[in-house]
Amino acid sequence: MTPNVLINNLPYLLKGALVTLELSVVVLIAGNLLGLVIGIVATSVGRIGQSLITAYIFVLRGIPILVIMLLGYYAFPALGYRVPAYVAVGVAQIIYVSAFVAEIVRSAILSVPSGQIAAARSLGMRRFSILKEIVLPQATRIAIPPLLNNSLTAIKQTSYVSVVGVWELTYAAREVVERTLASFQIFLGVMAIYFIICYPLSLLARRWERRAAVVQ
Amino acid sequence: MDFLVNLLAIWARLYPSLVSGFAVTISVALAAIPLALLGALLLTPLRMWGGSIIHAVTGAYIEFMRNTPLLLQIYLIYFGLPLLGLYPSEFMCGVIGIAMQHAAFLAEIYRGGIESISQRQWDAARAMGMTWAKALRNVILPQAGLRILGPIGNQLIILVKDTSLVSAIGVVDLTMVGKVSIERLAVTLEIFLAIALIYLALTGVLGAVLRIIERRVLERIG
Repeated sequence: MTPNVLINNLPYLLKGALVTLELSVVVLIAGNLLGLVIGIVATSVGRIGQSLITAYIFVLRGIPILVIMLLGYYAFPALGYRVPAYVAVGVAQIIYVSAFVAEIVRSAILSVPSGQIAAARSLGMRRFSILKEIVLPQATRIAIPPLLNNSLTAIKQTSYVSVVGVWELTYAAREVVERTLASFQIFLGVMAIYFIICYPLSLLARRWERRAAVVQ
Repeated sequence: MDFLVNLLAIWARLYPSLVSGFAVTISVALAAIPLALLGALLLTPLRMWGGSIIHAVTGAYIEFMRNTPLLLQIYLIYFGLPLLGLYPSEFMCGVIGIAMQHAAFLAEIYRGGIESISQRQWDAARAMGMTWAKALRNVILPQAGLRILGPIGNQLIILVKDTSLVSAIGVVDLTMVGKVSIERLAVTLEIFLAIALIYLALTGVLGAVLRIIERRVLERIG
């Protein structure tokens, strides 16, 4: 049980960590942006649009990410598109994350008391400036802690792409373990890498939670 | 129309393996849920009122579990325990991994619930001559319990979805049935559509039941 195995394989694992980071950044940016748009649209369209978005959120949130990824992985070829595996699962991850973000954004916007909107309208404010100056600033404060926690989950679940054969940190860890049989050192070491990536975000989420609690 | 007929034919052929996969998924969830709830019940008092060493150790455990992927926790158990001379089944490894992570998340929910009850409630209970334990049991816990019903329900739904990860270590649950059937039937989308719908029905029903329970409890005592 010496840590030598871990140190010897660290360069290889760090290369995997870099892929995990890249994947996380892409999924977080695209997933949060898509979810933000869907969440805002959900609060300002007619009834049909609202039910469509509700269905989108309900369906995606009710299915494990692993199944959504496998669906994405097989859907592209079945529909006649030939894309690399990492693109297929990346798209699946982005869509999955967007559903959670949309729900957080929508409920944050809806939590702003409707009396404020009525008051703003009676002052003659336009719809866009009501959204920009009254609703969004308050909704943002409510939405930030759950959005940060959701991003944390999103980073951790990028590890699931290894299950369909996409090479990143978790896949690299399995390769090294198969070669060296040093499961404790390698897996614990890789978990430490994930921890280093995730923990700052975790602390940030907790700080925002406390701030939100004080405001209320 | 052809697509629909074709789809139903494939689903009919899949039916027996879907049923057995569904049974395994439910078994994993039913085994992991009580373990996670009890594990959290054990962690929470240690985290909140244990001495400084116990506090630090449980805190480290909770943070480690919350900030590393569940897939790796399952791998660590599945590939690590044999090195210690222990050979639990794939099923057990999956259940233990899921329960250990969700216990950490649930412990944070329990703690949040207890801390959300105002200090003045403690003071009032103690001023009436209640012991610390009695104040906790009769004043704090009943109120905290009501507040955390919703978050616990949400966590359990996440747990049920996380059971799909046991397929990564070879447990033939619903997700694994999908992967295996692809090789057997040589169709892809139709299979995972069925799997996705079953999971959706499962989490949808579970969510509805949990909401009804929450509402009933709140109506009766809230």
